[in-house]
Amino acid sequence: MSRYALAFVNINMLGPASSLCLLFKTWTALSARASMGTYISSQTVKKVIEINPYLLGTMAGGAADCQFWLRNLGMQCRLYELKNGHRITVKAASKLLANTLFGYKGMGLSMGTMIAGWDVGGPGLYYVDSDAQRTKGQIFSVGSGSLYAYGILDDGYNFDMEVEDAIELGQRSIYHATYRDAVSGGTVSVYHVTKDGWKKVRGADVGDLHYKYYPDADQHPTYGASPL
Amino acid sequence: MTAGFQFDLCKRNQLLESKGVKGVSVTKTGTTIAGLVFKDGVVLGADTRSTSGSTVADKNCEKIHFIAPNIYCCGAGTAADTENVTGMISSSLDLHRYATGRESRVVTAMTMLKSHLFRYQGHVSAALVLGGVDFRGPHLFTVYPHGSTDSLPFCTMGSGSLNAMAVFESGYKDNLTREEAVELVANAIKAGIYNDLGSGSNVDICVITKGHVDYLRNHEYLQGKTYQRRQPVVYQKGTTAITKESLVSLSDLTIQDGDATAMDTS
Amino acid sequence: MLAPPPFRLHTPASVGPANASSDNTRSRPAWSPYDDNGGTCVAVAGSDYCIVAASTRLSTGFSILTRDCSKLFKISEQVYIASAGFQGDVRALQKMLQTRNVMYEHIHRKPMSASALAQLLGNNLYYKRFFPYFTWNLCVGLDPEGKGSVYTYDPVGSFERVGFSCQGSGKDLIQPVLDNQLKAASPLVVPAKDWMSALPLEQAQDLVRDAFVSAGERDIYTGDSVEILTITKDGVNKEILDLKKD
Repeated sequence: MSRYALAFVNINMLGPASSLCLLFKTWTALSARASMGTYISSQTVKKVIEINPYLLGTMAGGAADCQFWLRNLGMQCRLYELKNGHRITVKAASKLLANTLFGYKGMGLSMGTMIAGWDVGGPGLYYVDSDAQRTKGQIFSVGSGSLYAYGILDDGYNFDMEVEDAIELGQRSIYHATYRDAVSGGTVSVYHVTKDGWKKVRGADVGDLHYKYYPDADQHPTYGASPL
Repeated sequence: MTAGFQFDLCKRNQLLESKGVKGVSVTKTGTTIAGLVFKDGVVLGADTRSTSGSTVADKNCEKIHFIAPNIYCCGAGTAADTENVTGMISSSLDLHRYATGRESRVVTAMTMLKSHLFRYQGHVSAALVLGGVDFRGPHLFTVYPHGSTDSLPFCTMGSGSLNAMAVFESGYKDNLTREEAVELVANAIKAGIYNDLGSGSNVDICVITKGHVDYLRNHEYLQGKTYQRRQPVVYQKGTTAITKESLVSLSDLTIQDGDATAMDTS
Repeated sequence: MLAPPPFRLHTPASVGPANASSDNTRSRPAWSPYDDNGGTCVAVAGSDYCIVAASTRLSTGFSILTRDCSKLFKISEQVYIASAGFQGDVRALQKMLQTRNVMYEHIHRKPMSASALAQLLGNNLYYKRFFPYFTWNLCVGLDPEGKGSVYTYDPVGSFERVGFSCQGSGKDLIQPVLDNQLKAASPLVVPAKDWMSALPLEQAQDLVRDAFVSAGERDIYTGDSVEILTITKDGVNKEILDLKKD
């Protein structure tokens, strides 16, 4: 249990958001995305927000809400460090956010976020949303494409899997979510978190991934016979 | 079926709309149209922009519609309504001329338009400027979507009607010459084109005199593009990757003989 | 007990439907604190330049209020804000940013960098999260390395640094063209690829001019003229290009 890690998989679109997180024996993976009507306002929005070198947050729901309050959380975490002389735990950080959001409950904020990171107890993963719900877990997937991602994730996940396999599972989960969910797309990012902090290990365009996974169009599962 | 008008569908549509169902978006001719009586006849004018929301749907559409050889009609409102209502009245008048052997009268067209529009209680959204010359001389009418009409020496309609009317009010005189009349109408339309965002592009003019019509399509072409790209991008062959290719030779296809089936006309 | 929310993200006393009068007999059209004054802004970042451009027509409904209203606002010698949307909010926002820049200069003895202004703008847009500024903004300037930088926003302060962006009424027409012509890798790709515009300055200017002229053909709120600023280390060049006036 010496190599605990955390990874984020990220779909980048401003729109209905989806994200997923995995917590493995050796690491955790997580992904996220968001939307705005039918117009794709950005293909490159960062769905994974780097709160500090040991903490990541994912974005689903209102882009501004997530950006602002995760930045605000970063500030609260730094103040905690200065006051207490040691890093905040993922448990405490996620609770700071949940408490903040509780103060605005019912006022119309829209956030579904996963807080993932590394602390003295190893990897931590929490789901926090704008209803101020806060849940600890090993895997999460959030947003419009989350159900598609869960399908792949639940099938392939086990706590003792290898880092490389877990990274690939996270990336594939998000890829398949973008394949079925019209408002998901852009880039899939994967972060890997260890005791030394997070590191971005993947950043792939979903279009490129499609041709990587299915180089031959005829071999695609949804391929239908040509009418001619 | 009882007598009278039925507006069930209108009520249904209103209900659906209040429940949040979106109706179809129609092309509205946010428009400037105008007409003027001068010494020898009538001048009609229109801009040529048609819009769909804030987007220009057609940069050079025709808003002066044919009604009869001696009668034309400018249309503002929903493009489909103005085109079809003028077309319907045009064909009715055509039949009427076959039946009577006489030239159509402008009041006849006006009466048919207003009764049709009144029947539909404003749901056919056509605001019209109708002009023509018949044996009684030049006539100019405005027809509102609910079926009321005006008979005036000069009139304007559409979203740019106030801009155009301002020009008419300052420049109109009785018994203008043809040239003066055309210039005044063109200026009125231009006021709409420049100052009303629903109107734009070019000026169409139609001059109707006794026994003669001059349809001056794009009488004034106002402004072209102000910049041409100096380094246009040329797409190289292969820019779009071909992932799959299959050829089907049509000459190899066999045509099967068989009994022809009659078209279903039930 | 939890502390009260740290920020007053306020909403006006009453923005509800105005026709809910007590006697339920009279009604008046609902008053709105917002209007849409149209206009389009474009910005392109290059390796050693930055272009920011905005149309000058100011309109409401189907009327033109003025044909000559600049939507570009100078914060410092090399940093500009371009804003479309409701001009009332735009002016309030510009005034506030101007004030904050003066305070910053007094404290730090230097003007705000584009990145500092970008975060300030993002925060201040978010402070009105529940009664937003009805504005669509671009923050444009050169970064400390002299590279062009463009930040693009939504009305409540979500923002990101991009290689190019377009905001306002002509956005739906122009943004796809920029995506096609300036297509660069996403900044999120690993291993990292260059995501800024690779075009030489003259070609980028050519593209921006064409984008506005073409948008002016089809968007009724884009017209009259376009103000194009080119920011380089040598200074700022201003060009005004006529657009169609109809």
